[in-house]
Amino acid sequence: MKILILGAGAIGGYVGGRLQQSGADVTFLVRPARHAALARDGLVIKSTKGDITQKAKTVASGSEGGPYDIVLRTCKAYDLDSAIEAVAPALGPDTTIVPLLNGYRHLDTLDARFGVGRVVGGLARMGVAMSEKGEILHTSPFAAISFGERGGKTARPGLIELDAAVKKAGIDGGLNGRIEQDLWDKWIMLCTLASTCCLMRGTEGDILEADEGTAIMLETVEECRKVAAAAGNDPGEKGMANVRSYLTQKGSRFAASMLHDLEKGSMVEADHVVGDMIARAKKAGVATPNLRLAYAHLQVYLARRARGGIGKPAM
Amino acid sequence: MKILILGAGAVGGYWGARLHQSGADVTFLLREKRAEKVRREGLVVKSAKGDAVLPVKVVTKGSEGGPYDVVVLACKAYDLDSAIASIAPAVTEATTIVPMLNGHAHFATLDARFGAERVAGGLARISGMLGPNGEILHSGASGVSFGERDGKPARPALAALEAASKKAGIDGGVNANINQDLWDKWIMLGSIASMCSAMRGNVGDIMETEDGAALMAEILEECRKVAASEGHAPSEKVLAGIKSGLTQKGSKNVASILGDLEKGGPVESRQVVGDMLARARKAGIAAPNLRFAYAHLQAYEARRARGGLGQPTK
Repeated sequence: MKILILGAGAIGGYVGGRLQQSGADVTFLVRPARHAALARDGLVIKSTKGDITQKAKTVASGSEGGPYDIVLRTCKAYDLDSAIEAVAPALGPDTTIVPLLNGYRHLDTLDARFGVGRVVGGLARMGVAMSEKGEILHTSPFAAISFGERGGKTARPGLIELDAAVKKAGIDGGLNGRIEQDLWDKWIMLCTLASTCCLMRGTEGDILEADEGTAIMLETVEECRKVAAAAGNDPGEKGMANVRSYLTQKGSRFAASMLHDLEKGSMVEADHVVGDMIARAKKAGVATPNLRLAYAHLQVYLARRARGGIGKPAM
Repeated sequence: MKILILGAGAVGGYWGARLHQSGADVTFLLREKRAEKVRREGLVVKSAKGDAVLPVKVVTKGSEGGPYDVVVLACKAYDLDSAIASIAPAVTEATTIVPMLNGHAHFATLDARFGAERVAGGLARISGMLGPNGEILHSGASGVSFGERDGKPARPALAALEAASKKAGIDGGVNANINQDLWDKWIMLGSIASMCSAMRGNVGDIMETEDGAALMAEILEECRKVAASEGHAPSEKVLAGIKSGLTQKGSKNVASILGDLEKGGPVESRQVVGDMLARARKAGIAAPNLRFAYAHLQAYEARRARGGLGQPTK
């Protein structure tokens, strides 16, 4: 099985690195700068599950080295459009695209471009970041990916093979028969945390210190739950109880990575993670006053960033 | 007339500097560090209306240089308690206190400490900030407004303060309707401070977003309802003026509280936003936007208190 990984960023680099380490046939599709760095330094992973440095097979264009059986897409949502065209030449008639992106909107985009039959659902759960030197820093005790057919269909052979490769590579998770629910569960959590952490510019614990912090957190997750329910993916009482208790831990230093991006002045997945949730809420007639403010906050950030006003005195 | 000004920030510093230049008897009551700097380098003003370096009178204790006819409080609202302790020795039976603080919460504290009859109402419309070297960077408006809170004719000390201010080229002066003016300023400030804080951008940035203009109009309406519930609804003209100022596309207008937030400094969260929200609750007025702004400021204060500002969040 030939696997193409789009990008060798934090998640793509970690997953691809582990797959390759365990003997899978992995190729990274990367930009020239990253190609040069990988050729010079190798793929460097510093991880709670063990450090490695290894050579990485890279291509600069999707037309090289294919066709591939599996294409893993791990780019940020705002890079999706450029990534789509880069990967198009790598696809053969039997290629399966496994996006490991947050949210849902990319599935619509990928379906429209490549056909729904080629695209499965997928997501990643790991604490991983890229250092300035291009090393992949994996800090969480787990490193999981989850993927599967949408609509509850039986998994195609390519996914079963990928599942075996993932398990052999020591990556947690694997094939998931309810990937759509998993996508919604993750999106509810992510959208709530990203919205509240960005709007309040603090960690979960900081937010919970405000008089209304807990109420705001619970209202926001409820807005997201209603949107999921309208799509037929209500996490259910037990699932929600877990989410709520996770989101209301006093003293928690946990923050959405989007806040980190915001404070670095980087691009943020505002439309993908928050804007699209609001769009789906509107369609379903669900009121989302808290998400509305969070999205406005993110849009103000993007407007200020666009005019070069981030990091400059406000007055 | 002897005037004591507590604080030499943008408001106290600019007003006092112009009073000093025009020959008024002005003394600044400052903390040791600030006092030393002003004594050494003079009070430095940079302004389109004229730069100046002034050898002003400075004291560090209210017991020095008095008695004073007028004591102007030009501190931040969160410094009120220490300000009261500082000015107490300067206040006699004949002294009038003119607080230039934002919001309304300070009146109860001042009245309780000094007696309501000694405390006038006051507010500043002076735009400016302190530069990195303690210099007063004045930009735009330079107005003050003060008067009797019960609407009675101004006492002689306030009339004298008005005459001195006019001579010094400061706009405004005695306002027979100072309570209304305080509310008018507060609903404007409550709105812009809330929005600039919670959105972390200037008015123009906020107006760039889909819902920005709507959110600004909503929060202004929340504040207006609070003012109305206390018998101080703004006139239609005032309200229209505030609204157009707060919803101008491309405006660089920004609340100074955002500068404080981004510097990691203390903020007038409770006085400007929290107290407005508390009054809304008391009056049964829904104030969802004020609620978020206050939560934002409280989360900021929690993060600041634990030393988490400027630290990576992961």
